[in-house]
Amino acid sequence: MDEVTRQIMSRRRFLQVAIASGVVVACNPTSIGSTSPSQGGTAPSSGAGGSTPPSGGAISGTVNVTYPDEAGFKPKYVEQAAAAVKSQYSGVDVKIDLQKIGDDDFYTKLLLRLDSGDVPDVIHVGGSLIGELSDAGYIEPLDDYLAGWEDWKQYPKAVQDGVSYNGKTWAIPYGLDMRWLYYRKDDLQKAGLPADWQPANVQGILDAAAAVKSKDAGVLPYALYAGPAGSSGTADHAFVPLLWAYGGELQDASGKWIGDSPATKKVMAYYAKAYGDGLSPKEIITATKPWTAMREKLGNGGLALLFEGGWVYGGWAAADKAATEQNVGYLLHPTESGGPSFTVGGPGTCWYITAKSKNKQAAWEFVKAVNTAEIVGKLNAEDPHPVARTDAADVTEFKSNKYLVDSTKALESARFTIPSPDYPKVIQAIQTATARIAAGELSADDAAKRYTDDLKQAVGADKVTSL
Amino acid sequence: MTASRRAPFRRNRLYLAGLSPAAFLLALFFVGPAIWALLSSFTNRALVGIDAANPRFVGLDNYVRLFGDPDFAKVILNSVVFVIGSAIIGQFVLGLGLALLLDYAERRGFLATSLVYAAVLLAWVNPTIIAGFLWVAMFDFYNGSLNVGLGHVGLGPIDWFGSGPMLAVIIANIWRGTAFTMLIFLGALRTIPSDIYEAARVDGANAFRRFWDHTLPMLRPIAALTLLSVTMATFGTFILIQALTNGGPALQTEVIALYAYHQAFQAHAVGYGSTIAVVMLALNLGFAIVFLRWSRARA
Repeated sequence: MDEVTRQIMSRRRFLQVAIASGVVVACNPTSIGSTSPSQGGTAPSSGAGGSTPPSGGAISGTVNVTYPDEAGFKPKYVEQAAAAVKSQYSGVDVKIDLQKIGDDDFYTKLLLRLDSGDVPDVIHVGGSLIGELSDAGYIEPLDDYLAGWEDWKQYPKAVQDGVSYNGKTWAIPYGLDMRWLYYRKDDLQKAGLPADWQPANVQGILDAAAAVKSKDAGVLPYALYAGPAGSSGTADHAFVPLLWAYGGELQDASGKWIGDSPATKKVMAYYAKAYGDGLSPKEIITATKPWTAMREKLGNGGLALLFEGGWVYGGWAAADKAATEQNVGYLLHPTESGGPSFTVGGPGTCWYITAKSKNKQAAWEFVKAVNTAEIVGKLNAEDPHPVARTDAADVTEFKSNKYLVDSTKALESARFTIPSPDYPKVIQAIQTATARIAAGELSADDAAKRYTDDLKQAVGADKVTSL
Repeated sequence: MTASRRAPFRRNRLYLAGLSPAAFLLALFFVGPAIWALLSSFTNRALVGIDAANPRFVGLDNYVRLFGDPDFAKVILNSVVFVIGSAIIGQFVLGLGLALLLDYAERRGFLATSLVYAAVLLAWVNPTIIAGFLWVAMFDFYNGSLNVGLGHVGLGPIDWFGSGPMLAVIIANIWRGTAFTMLIFLGALRTIPSDIYEAARVDGANAFRRFWDHTLPMLRPIAALTLLSVTMATFGTFILIQALTNGGPALQTEVIALYAYHQAFQAHAVGYGSTIAVVMLALNLGFAIVFLRWSRARA
């Protein structure tokens, strides 16, 4: 257990350094087309006794691909990849199962499918789920396939490490996750704050929200996600960045999850202030998919402050590019001391091959086809994420977009969530704990103490500590 | 001798043949899953993670965990409030009241009787999830009919699910479920011969006495069964609450069935979710025994 944790800790630190170097590579225009033609020269590294994929030749059969998409950016690229595979291999058919449902619902549905043995070949879910999917034996390690794929060199070491677990690589990411503190310049100006507002520290967010509240009853000051309704955003867009801002950590050096701590108490007090003073609307904990309304409101000026995914900007820009550029500002997350601001990074949604797939080679051909530099560049330009493969940053649609260049640069200041199989359970404990404080059921100190119990329920008492 | 013994046997065989489709369906859709849940509750079965790959027998661990779960008492309390509020006070009393009114109206041939009847039935024939979304459309903070209506007269908006979540789901469930009890009671009321009431009226009994001395005793057996089925159905319901609040805010409307669902399909802990379901099954069996005893003792 300790070993794994140390691995995680050091990997996280490594990620930050390596992402930064990856960005440098990304900004180097000569990186495209620099792939050396040494195909076949690299032998599969872990092939002893394992199934070494055939190097081309006759591939046939049907590939079943299942993926969720509510926003509608992906289907045309998935279709394009399917068509490419079908035209390259006449014996291969690709059946696409597009699920127009939310990621959480998709995941539950997928798990029931995997559990029942009715297994698709290619799946598309969050990279943070690698640990628990791998532990369950649902997904196939890709190392043997990657050994024969030149393009894998285009993925910075940090990105590669972000999708590895227990020494193996399990998924191919297309776009990385990062988050911004978005603010409405027009709303803040009405509240007497400058258009180029910059909070001195984390308290500055609440101060700005209070200023907005005191000036204009028509604008929601701030959306701080809480509770199960906020989905993983309750952790990644609210609790976790706040915990880090107050100098806290999710895990201690021995890998135990930290419940109550001085930082946890400060986060709970922050929540108590945001909800107790009416800066954040209580509907966040009762509405279904509250982020839909919050994103829409920030886009049209009905909400002044929101820490959210970088990809959200795409919806606003698509609706009205000029107004968005004029009114929506984006910043890194401030800290308690006013020290270096940061963003929360993650591997984003990834492509996986299932362990029980009967047609892994053909499935791999599809995964490669949907992750070409062209598709990755264009898809991320539409559905804005920093690209996972560096050569995709040279796709015109991507590099001509200032917002995307800024987002990619922000990854230099990213802290990454932990690829632990327990993290999804910890997210649920965070949802329970933040719901309580947001609903006003407990004081900040009691809510922090109770968070220890929530964690114990989620991951087991032996894996939890408090400071 | 032998002939007279064989006759009931043959008749029993006929009974068995007649019962077997129902028995088969019950075994397939109730006993089977119940046994599966009971077995799962002794394992750490999960949908994902290391426990999904290696499910193993954990004895009573899940039960120990459940009774040490600080949220479980709250969940049970929520269930009790929800059942008393929506099943016993709401559906049962309101359903009986509506049935009495409709019966009265019917006996006198009032014009709007069938309209009222249809209105109540409409709420009931909707699938639960549709009923849920109807009430979401009513209570929603931003676009709900209630808040939009209040906005037109310069009031609100009110955060219905935030300020009174349990009341909101109880109201929705009463609206949805009252038709069932009303139908049963209406059917029972029609079987009471009118001459009983006429005799009572001749004896000088007022409306209340007629209800208390004649209607109520004749409804008692059916009332016990209705109360039982409404209680059990309400205790096991979760779709409506899931659509409205999904148990929130915090756990303020999390009832036991929803808690089992969330543990099994949101936390992916199937073993633990099954444990909650087994406890629920035991409580339901308890209700059934109490109610049936009660109805038999009085009947």
